[in-house]
Amino acid sequence: MKNTRHLSFSVNGEAKEFLVAPDEKLLDLLRREGLTGTKHGCGTGSCGSCTVIMDGKTVYSCILYAFQAEGRAIETIEGVGDFDNPHPLQTALVEEGAVQCGFCIPGIVLSAKALLAEIPQPTDAELKVYMDGNLCRCTGYEKIEVALHKVIAAGSCGGAK
Amino acid sequence: MKLNEFIIPEDLKSAQSALEKLGEKGFAVAGGTSLHFLGIVEKTAVDISHLGLSGIQKQGGAYLIGATTSLGDLMKFKDQGWVLDQVALHTSTQQIRNISTLGGNIVRVFPWNDFPVALLALDATLYIEGVAEKAYSSDDYFNGQPIRLFQPGQLLTRVEVPVLKPGQGFGYHKEVRLHAGFSLMTAAAVITVKSGRIDGIRVAASAGIALPARLTLVEAALGGQAADAASLQQAVANGTAALAWKGKEGMSDEYAAHLGRVVLMDVLSAALLQAQGE
Repeated sequence: MKNTRHLSFSVNGEAKEFLVAPDEKLLDLLRREGLTGTKHGCGTGSCGSCTVIMDGKTVYSCILYAFQAEGRAIETIEGVGDFDNPHPLQTALVEEGAVQCGFCIPGIVLSAKALLAEIPQPTDAELKVYMDGNLCRCTGYEKIEVALHKVIAAGSCGGAK
Repeated sequence: MKLNEFIIPEDLKSAQSALEKLGEKGFAVAGGTSLHFLGIVEKTAVDISHLGLSGIQKQGGAYLIGATTSLGDLMKFKDQGWVLDQVALHTSTQQIRNISTLGGNIVRVFPWNDFPVALLALDATLYIEGVAEKAYSSDDYFNGQPIRLFQPGQLLTRVEVPVLKPGQGFGYHKEVRLHAGFSLMTAAAVITVKSGRIDGIRVAASAGIALPARLTLVEAALGGQAADAASLQQAVANGTAALAWKGKEGMSDEYAAHLGRVVLMDVLSAALLQAQGE
């Protein structure tokens, strides 16, 4: 690859070095590194399935150049939980039947996690503002909202970083 | 945009020097979200997001906003005379607000951009820094594509926005089909009321007209008038008659003109109510 450079940033708490091409998007880098929980949906920063957390804030990895992550901390869905040890948000989404095809769910979990880390008890308006960048074509959002309210009421991930 | 190389400079001077050397081949990138609208042009990206140009400070009667302050930070900042949170709240989605910057929204202006309209209404001052710093009024800065003012190596470093005082009110409205969609019509107004009369008025619009601009005929029709709904209605009707409204996304020009007048009435009414302390 032309004009590639080594850059360093952390992924899920682990400092790493990557060979990055100028035009490479963070989404493509993460997926080639095997972190395929971050999904490629629209590719235009609209649908939210590629959402990751960068320095505590959600971003669309499909429109973020990989070099923009230099020196930063990236969190992907792989760093949140897994089948054996799910995050309370993942548990609630499953329990409430909020997952159908599941393609949007990694992004939704990360957006909700970033929101609750910043505002542990969000109002309905804040919930909508912080979740407005994640589209779901299956559920109609109602069950997702119910699941998020369940986690908020339980305070089970308030303040979690 | 196609990037063929990237540079991550250590400080502002290095960034400016790299951009000056690259000339037309260089491109300053902070959030980078607008690059996707700029076509297939090969450029070298110079990352200016780490240069300490972010943050909001209140100094005297103004807020000083770093050019690379994210729209998310503009949304979260709260203060009595601060109104840009209202604008940021209606800009795209949280993921975009977290990475998009104020500078990115106002250096290259698309008709749907949110902040030029508000900054025109608020009479902001914009600072471009090269070897020396130069200040531009929002009227001069937005009188055409702002990028015309930048020589290679020059960067927008900060924006100064007056603190809204008692007796002043701000109105802002962005009409969209979908919450995160591009604007069909945006307008903003700042009204100052004194002794029941409109003592000061700045109103601007975009999306429905070619580029963000102040509506000076509306302002002229309102200055010194009674601070009431009838004055607003008359000023909007008379002051917009000659405007070349442009419909899009299925809207006819006539529909755009009607929508423009409705949106203007909304922002002027909101500004007036706030100015009157309601």
